[in-house]
Amino acid sequence: MRNSNKVLILFCLPAFLLYSIFVLYPALGGFWYSLTNWNGLNPTYDYVGLSNYLELLDDKVFITSLLFTAKYVLYMVVLQNVIALTLAIIIESLSKGKKVLRTIFFFPNMISMIVGGFIWMFIFTKVFPQLAEMFGIAILNESWIGNPEYSFYSILILSLWGSVGYLMIIYIAALQSIPGQLIEAAKIDGANKLQTIWHVVRPLIINSITIGIFVSLSTSFKVFDQVYSLTGGGPGRATQVVSMNIYMEAFAYQSRYGYASAKAIILFVTILLITGVQLFVMKRKEVEM
Amino acid sequence: MKKLFMVLLIAVMATTLSGCKNNDDDIREIELNVFMSFPRFQEQFEEYFELFSEKMLEEENIRVIINLEMPSSDTAQQLLQARLSSGDAPDIYTLHAIADIPSYYEAGYLLDLSDAEFVDSVYASVLESVTYDEKVLALPLESLAWGYLYNKDMFAEYGLTPPETLSEMEAVVATLNANGETAFELAFQESWIPQLMMALSLGGMINSEEPNFVENMNAGTGSYGDIDEVFGIIDLIMENGTDRPFETGGAAGSAAFANGEAAMWVQGPWMSGSILEVNPDMNIGLAPLPITNNADTTMINLSTSTSLGVSPSSENKDIAIKLVNFILDAEHSSALFEELKFNPLSSVHTYETFPWVDEAMSYVALGKAYLESALPNGVTDETAAMLQEYYAGTKTKQEVIDAIDAAWASAVALQN
Repeated sequence: MRNSNKVLILFCLPAFLLYSIFVLYPALGGFWYSLTNWNGLNPTYDYVGLSNYLELLDDKVFITSLLFTAKYVLYMVVLQNVIALTLAIIIESLSKGKKVLRTIFFFPNMISMIVGGFIWMFIFTKVFPQLAEMFGIAILNESWIGNPEYSFYSILILSLWGSVGYLMIIYIAALQSIPGQLIEAAKIDGANKLQTIWHVVRPLIINSITIGIFVSLSTSFKVFDQVYSLTGGGPGRATQVVSMNIYMEAFAYQSRYGYASAKAIILFVTILLITGVQLFVMKRKEVEM
Repeated sequence: MKKLFMVLLIAVMATTLSGCKNNDDDIREIELNVFMSFPRFQEQFEEYFELFSEKMLEEENIRVIINLEMPSSDTAQQLLQARLSSGDAPDIYTLHAIADIPSYYEAGYLLDLSDAEFVDSVYASVLESVTYDEKVLALPLESLAWGYLYNKDMFAEYGLTPPETLSEMEAVVATLNANGETAFELAFQESWIPQLMMALSLGGMINSEEPNFVENMNAGTGSYGDIDEVFGIIDLIMENGTDRPFETGGAAGSAAFANGEAAMWVQGPWMSGSILEVNPDMNIGLAPLPITNNADTTMINLSTSTSLGVSPSSENKDIAIKLVNFILDAEHSSALFEELKFNPLSSVHTYETFPWVDEAMSYVALGKAYLESALPNGVTDETAAMLQEYYAGTKTKQEVIDAIDAAWASAVALQN
């Protein structure tokens, strides 16, 4: 047993080595830089203690971007999982065309979100106005990129389009793992479709829901490409998410790497806490078969 | 099998290596790493550096191998800064004369070029923009004289001439509106474009009515509220512009302007290439932007953007400086600058310039021009973001003023 453990660890070593060099070491470095005033250019910099973190408390722009991200996360977690689960249930109940539909819905996941952003940019700015003209649908003629009230929804649409397929696959796998006899038994007991889903399917796929919510929480907090390619955080900072705020702080404005690193650490801690609580709460609800 | 392969490989390598040594014994070989943010000019510079290598081989028996790196301009600065701060500085690199020279110099990344040959031939006004701490620190590449662009044919059609004051501009806009034309092209998707309105109007104010503005701002006693006249022209432009500006980027804006969708565009002549690509027959005019009803504030902005610096950590400083000098070589430089559509900036440049350059220069000759002054880091970016929000209606004029004031104050605080 011991020996085989050693072998297993040995097999993990190459991956762990790469992970350490490209993820762990820079992450620790980032934490160190967050305590300095480095500007990313000067060969020298000073240790400034926690002053970057204290400054964050007053940084209205950062707090606004944090709130905007929170709003985005809320919409994403709910919509992403509801849509993915609905799609999974519909596709699983079909008798024909399962594979084709599965592929179609998963397909956007294969495309880089930057490319997806440009595709949707075209749709929002060129196709929508044309549709509005042809069918007289006024809402399509709004500025879906330039008006901050609408661009939030354009970002949501792009993000959902790109990510729902992935969760859908997880849910399809979960649905397929439910033993047929349980559903049959429910049917014989006279349960209708909704009752079956709620009382039989739901408890059995709750561990997949845990994963689904975890994935959507952690990825949507870190959202960057979708916003970058669609609105660039604009107009101005109206749709700026946290990761973009960090990026701008480090690479534009006054190139404050230290301060930007402090922001990144705060984002990391936020994600850690929220997903930690989520996992803790939801794990207790899971049932074992 | 494997062994045989290794033996063969070593044999091949050994012969090629010794081959080099034997044949060119007296030729020194030098590598220069050149970093430029001009991917659109890769071919031109490669050819030009080829000329330099030939010259060096002929005159000094040195084989210069130039490793040219041309990242796109949005990532260039991040790459360069990462290189510099990790001790992997390229021998020669491009940087922005006004925005970057001070901070790069303070960090010790720029070699003093005051004694280089090129200094003698560069026009004084351009040389001033690459001089800091009384040292010439870079070779200017792109020198600019800019205001806003206008469609000459459209102006001629309605009998208009470039206005000198704000009320004249209002009259021009009214004429254009009455004829069913849109006055201004708005391409606000990239935030640096709306920012140009502030850059021009602020420069005009600082160099006429508010000479102490920068000083006051640095001392913490000034405010953008002191120059809020600039919002007169900014409002006028925003109210009389093309639709959906946030969906129009620089390229789309060039195309729209070239196709006559608007009569004027607050944009520099650096866009002339992409405008002429869409409409090669376009008559581009260039005039200074009126700000108030005082015609003295209406001025052309003279500035230098991309310039070429040498790293003090270069192992071949003498050759690097020779290469920099060669950019303004009496024999070859004119052809290069003409092909790149850069403005002449040295007495070695003898090519014919574009009509809009001549038009800008005619204002300069009348003294209606100023040299762009450096703003603290981050102020331009803040202005860019704020002007986008001002158009979108998510920020009021006062909020814009407060935000830029705050950005200035924080930049000053960081410098000390």
